[in-house]
Amino acid sequence: MRYVMVIDLKRCIGCYGCQIACKSENATPPGVFWARVLKQEAGKFPNVRRSSLPLLCMHCQDPACQQVCPTGATTKSDNGIVEVDSDECVGCRYCMMACPYGARYFNAKERSYFGQGLNEYEKVGYPNHPTGVVGKCDFCRHRLEKKLEPACVANCMARARYFGDVDDPNSEVSHLIREKRGQQLHPELGTDPSVYYLPA
Amino acid sequence: MAIWEDPFQKLSEDLKTTLRPQREWVAGRGLFLLLGHFLSGAGAGTWLFSIYYGLAAGLMLSLGVVALGGVAHLLFLGRFGRAWRIVRQPHKSWISRGLLSMALFLVCGTAYLLLERIGAVSGALGGVLLLLSLVGMAGILLYKGFVYAVSRAIPFWNTPLLPALYIAYGVRGGAAILLVAAALGVGGVELSSLEFIKLWVVVSSAVLVLIYLAGMSSSGVASRRSVSQLLGLRGSASLAFYLGVMLLGLVVPIGMGLFSHYGTVLPWVLGLVGVSSLIGDFYVKYCVARAGIYLPLSGEFPAR
Ligand code: SF4
Ligand code: SF4
Repeated sequence: MRYVMVIDLKRCIGCYGCQIACKSENATPPGVFWARVLKQEAGKFPNVRRSSLPLLCMHCQDPACQQVCPTGATTKSDNGIVEVDSDECVGCRYCMMACPYGARYFNAKERSYFGQGLNEYEKVGYPNHPTGVVGKCDFCRHRLEKKLEPACVANCMARARYFGDVDDPNSEVSHLIREKRGQQLHPELGTDPSVYYLPA
Repeated sequence: MAIWEDPFQKLSEDLKTTLRPQREWVAGRGLFLLLGHFLSGAGAGTWLFSIYYGLAAGLMLSLGVVALGGVAHLLFLGRFGRAWRIVRQPHKSWISRGLLSMALFLVCGTAYLLLERIGAVSGALGGVLLLLSLVGMAGILLYKGFVYAVSRAIPFWNTPLLPALYIAYGVRGGAAILLVAAALGVGGVELSSLEFIKLWVVVSSAVLVLIYLAGMSSSGVASRRSVSQLLGLRGSASLAFYLGVMLLGLVVPIGMGLFSHYGTVLPWVLGLVGVSSLIGDFYVKYCVARAGIYLPLSGEFPAR
């Protein structure tokens, strides 16, 4: 089994819903964006075009981050999910230098969103984000265990995201990648990402 | 952005830019990492020259400088209490190899020095310890360049020239430390021959810097931006590059090296040249790290 995500750029409206859904689901602290949306403007007035590129950890099958990690804190599971064991990580940030997709964040110190200590929500969520170590998207592993889709997929109002097993040739993601020519970011690097984009 | 500032301050701006700079290995606590790279390289170079000239004081100095470099590395880590875990992946990670080299060097180098103190260095044990310390030294000189060079995410670093550059700078750092030590009265250093060797290493490092920048300025968009951070007058690291790397690190050591080769220069002047050269060594590490720009993602928007 290999989990993949397919993002249809034609459907994406750049609303940042995935970014907020991820923050809300995973209670990531300020400065940590496991899911984010990059905007780009192209062309010249009046022929301008604005496009959005949703980003997250690509759960590469040949992950550059794992290759350089000196402690073995970064691992790849049988289902293709790349994870960081925060109890093993020493915070050397070598993985951040190696990841071509800007997917990793170093949580230097405890920061609250509203400046007056942690609120009740942060008190519950922040123990999952220890300081002095690196963290990243884990495809909402806790939701997958409950047979739920990752939060960014479940909350995308434009239905631009699909999630499933690419090893199953009959799955929706397999069909989309095959028939709509799903593309990976920076395929020339040989990282073999598990996030595919359908062209805009 | 001031180099001591927390990379967090610039994060939201960085996340929106097409050519995102790396900050974790240069700003805030990243400075400790640069110091660690600088000290461990120069310390390893000091060992090389001290063995060559048979300088016991130089050997001791070398161990001290590498140990300081090791401490600086630890201070950089988010969780330095777990630092021992870094040695677990020498089969794939250059950081693991670097830490193991440093440990091997410090243990075997210290044992070798102790044997030398009691006059028992000429036996088989002394030979083995010397060999192992040299292996550790070579590992220290080698690993830093490779740590950067394997990162395909940052094209400015992803070149085999970087390990060569870091080795050259480590060796010349060692010579510079001994010049400073001689100026401070550490005896036994043959100043004229040391300065002559150093001159050649400095000239080689100047050639490497030029080839490196020329190669990178004709590469992809991220590397070109990196080069402009150094060479462009408004570049984020241009002051450090022109003053630190070029003037203090290359022009002064080469000029004074030539002068001392053809004339007579007082040891304290050579000591100052050593200090100038060491500042240049540090700034080369700073500039390489500061100019690190990630491959763009937004230019890669998949389209039909
Ligand atoms: S996107 Fe980056 S962090 Fe995620 S698996 Fe690939 S290399 Fe690792
Ligand atoms: S920061 Fe942690 S996960 Fe990243 S390379 Fe270092 S030890 Fe591995």
